Amino acid sequence: MIWVSQILQGVLLGGYYALIACGLSFMFGVMRIINLAHGDLAVLAGFLVWFIAGQTGINPFLALALVIPLMAALGWVLQRTMLERSLRAGELVPLLSTFGLAIVIENLLFEQFGADTRSLAPYIGGLSYDSLTIGGQIYLSYLGIIIFAVAVAILGGLHFFLGHTNLGRAIRATAEDIDTAELVGINSRAVYAAAAAIALATVAVGGAALGMRATFAPYAGPAQLIFAFEAVVIGGLGSLWGTLAGGIALGVAQNIGATINTHGFLIAGHVVFLAFLALRPFLTSLNAKGRIKALLRRAA
Amino acid sequence: MGEDNSFKGDKNGKGDKNGGLSRRRFVQGVGAGAGGLIVGTSAAARFAEAATAMGPVLKVGFVSPRTGALAGFGECDPHILSLGRKALAKGLKVGDKHYAVHLIDEDTQSDPARASQLAKKLINDDKVDLMLATSTPEVVNPVSDACEAAGVPCISTIVPWESWYFGRGAKPGQPSPFHWTYHFSFGGADFYRSYLALWNGPVKTNKKVGILYPNDADGNAVRYHLAPGLAKAGFTIVDPGGYEDGTTDYSLQIAKFKAEQCEIFNTFPIPPDFAVFWRQAAQQGYTRMVKIAQIAKTGLFPSQVEALGTLGYNLSTGCYWHPTFPYSSPLTGLSSAALGADYERSTGRQWNQQVGASMSLLDVGFAALERSSNPKSKAAVAKAISTLKMVSTVGPVDFAKGPVPNVSPTPIIGCQWVKAKPGSKYKLDLVITEHADDPHVPIAAQLVPYNA
Repeated sequence: MIWVSQILQGVLLGGYYALIACGLSFMFGVMRIINLAHGDLAVLAGFLVWFIAGQTGINPFLALALVIPLMAALGWVLQRTMLERSLRAGELVPLLSTFGLAIVIENLLFEQFGADTRSLAPYIGGLSYDSLTIGGQIYLSYLGIIIFAVAVAILGGLHFFLGHTNLGRAIRATAEDIDTAELVGINSRAVYAAAAAIALATVAVGGAALGMRATFAPYAGPAQLIFAFEAVVIGGLGSLWGTLAGGIALGVAQNIGATINTHGFLIAGHVVFLAFLALRPFLTSLNAKGRIKALLRRAA
Repeated sequence: MGEDNSFKGDKNGKGDKNGGLSRRRFVQGVGAGAGGLIVGTSAAARFAEAATAMGPVLKVGFVSPRTGALAGFGECDPHILSLGRKALAKGLKVGDKHYAVHLIDEDTQSDPARASQLAKKLINDDKVDLMLATSTPEVVNPVSDACEAAGVPCISTIVPWESWYFGRGAKPGQPSPFHWTYHFSFGGADFYRSYLALWNGPVKTNKKVGILYPNDADGNAVRYHLAPGLAKAGFTIVDPGGYEDGTTDYSLQIAKFKAEQCEIFNTFPIPPDFAVFWRQAAQQGYTRMVKIAQIAKTGLFPSQVEALGTLGYNLSTGCYWHPTFPYSSPLTGLSSAALGADYERSTGRQWNQQVGASMSLLDVGFAALERSSNPKSKAAVAKAISTLKMVSTVGPVDFAKGPVPNVSPTPIIGCQWVKAKPGSKYKLDLVITEHADDPHVPIAAQLVPYNA
């Protein structure tokens, strides 16, 4: 029974990782940017939801509905003012500029909100600790189930969006070959800015999930980056469903590791991550370039 | 900044014959460059002008984490330093001589490497006469090490003294290897006394203790030094094993605590991990079983407990200072109550334990300078610290008594986070529930069960 419980908890944990990783995966898939400020942007979104909910007394889910467009706008601005320029300067420059952005966000949050630990849990009452009991032995938290469902919905929605809408197709075309896309009349600047806006909209949801599940503080961002990054790499860089699978693989591996030995939680996750990294060249069907390209070939 | 000279080869031909630079020269050059960069942003400049008017000047460095992950500890320091500077505005009288005082404060940004770099800068460039450092081994240990190496007297606080003393290479039963560095802070024995008083108190339990100790320096220290003592004192210890900091799922540990029906829970985690654990424990039905939830290392600051929502009420913890302490600051003359009230008035924030601790560091530092035969002599200051006996904001400090040389233990007092009374400006109150470690501190309330 303990094993079933541990694996189920790992699956729910994986949903959370996938949700946090979603924006990272999307940004890399489309723009080839590894966004080192990803964790800090999630923390920023958490602070925005916390601030709005605290100031106005509205439900944090409603506050999130306000923060999503705000973060999307921020994504647009970041792309136009910073990421676009750094992309032109070569592959390494976006790494450096997002690293700098991370430091700027951390210290601005510290200046504005101070060092205190925050959480959205006080605003959601019992939802932060209520759970569903199965057979008196297995407890699944409602919040965990909601986060998992939201992760599936967002990743599925993005997948559908890329395959079945004009903007989605334009994003895929630009990701595949920017010059050819421009030849057929796609405005790649606008497409990239839209993609950055979408990525940051998902980061807003990830930040809210972080705030409800755990706590955050101005310098908590980098710690969020590591599991998101591992989920993206395990699932295949740029692949959306892969990110969900990667998150679940990571969460389940960690919980199995902990069941074997309590010291094993983190190490089991890292071992799975390294194993995928080492074996990936042999897993040709799960091509490292990801599902976006596979989707594109199917469409062609 | 000196690179030009440093990077040239050694004149005596010991350097690289091709005119390159020897490794030693290179290291020196880089060191000088890094030091120079910091000087540019130094706070020292602010005080340079007022300095010369008052004759001889005493320089005191104050190192704490003001930004970064440990920023909660340093949050009150600007306020405390301004109180200290006000008290020292007319200088310090030592014997019949009058000294102007420069208090030079630096922020480690929660980075041990930067702490070490700042200490070296304060020693070599500012030429401080005394160093003060506070809050966590990441700040205090590198600063103490730099002072020990350079022969500069240093006083520090708010690190379990075992982590400071043994963690820096001292061996049990052997003479102290430290000549310049001194530390006053709580240790394992203080937690032990507090826990026995609380767990044998009015809340009846089955004496089964579930311990969640991480696999880090603090976690292993309490696992090997605190838990066996508690077992000897009649408690059954249930230890699922260490876990790594940053773990995001604790289902296994929770299942074990539930299976063993641990009515007492004790933990020493990093604060973000505890929030995740405690919510999961609530989801999986463990918190309803807990009678005493004894937390340490987290729950020091009100915000960490407020973040838990209703799950934060009735957590039992320990404090190293409280506004109801019966002690005053000899430096500023403020009683603990006045210090807490003054902090709340001028910052608009609820008091926290570090307010008293940072104040006491200034108390002890300037008492040592006052009692030295010559505050400009490093040896005389170190000698004065080694025999210092006084009462500071956090209580009595006595470096002559032990348990080991260079260390003066200070108390841990049991207390409980309770929902604030109606009409309070704040969400939570911290009330004192036992005083085994220092009976002069008044008890405010009896411990109540977690689920009361």
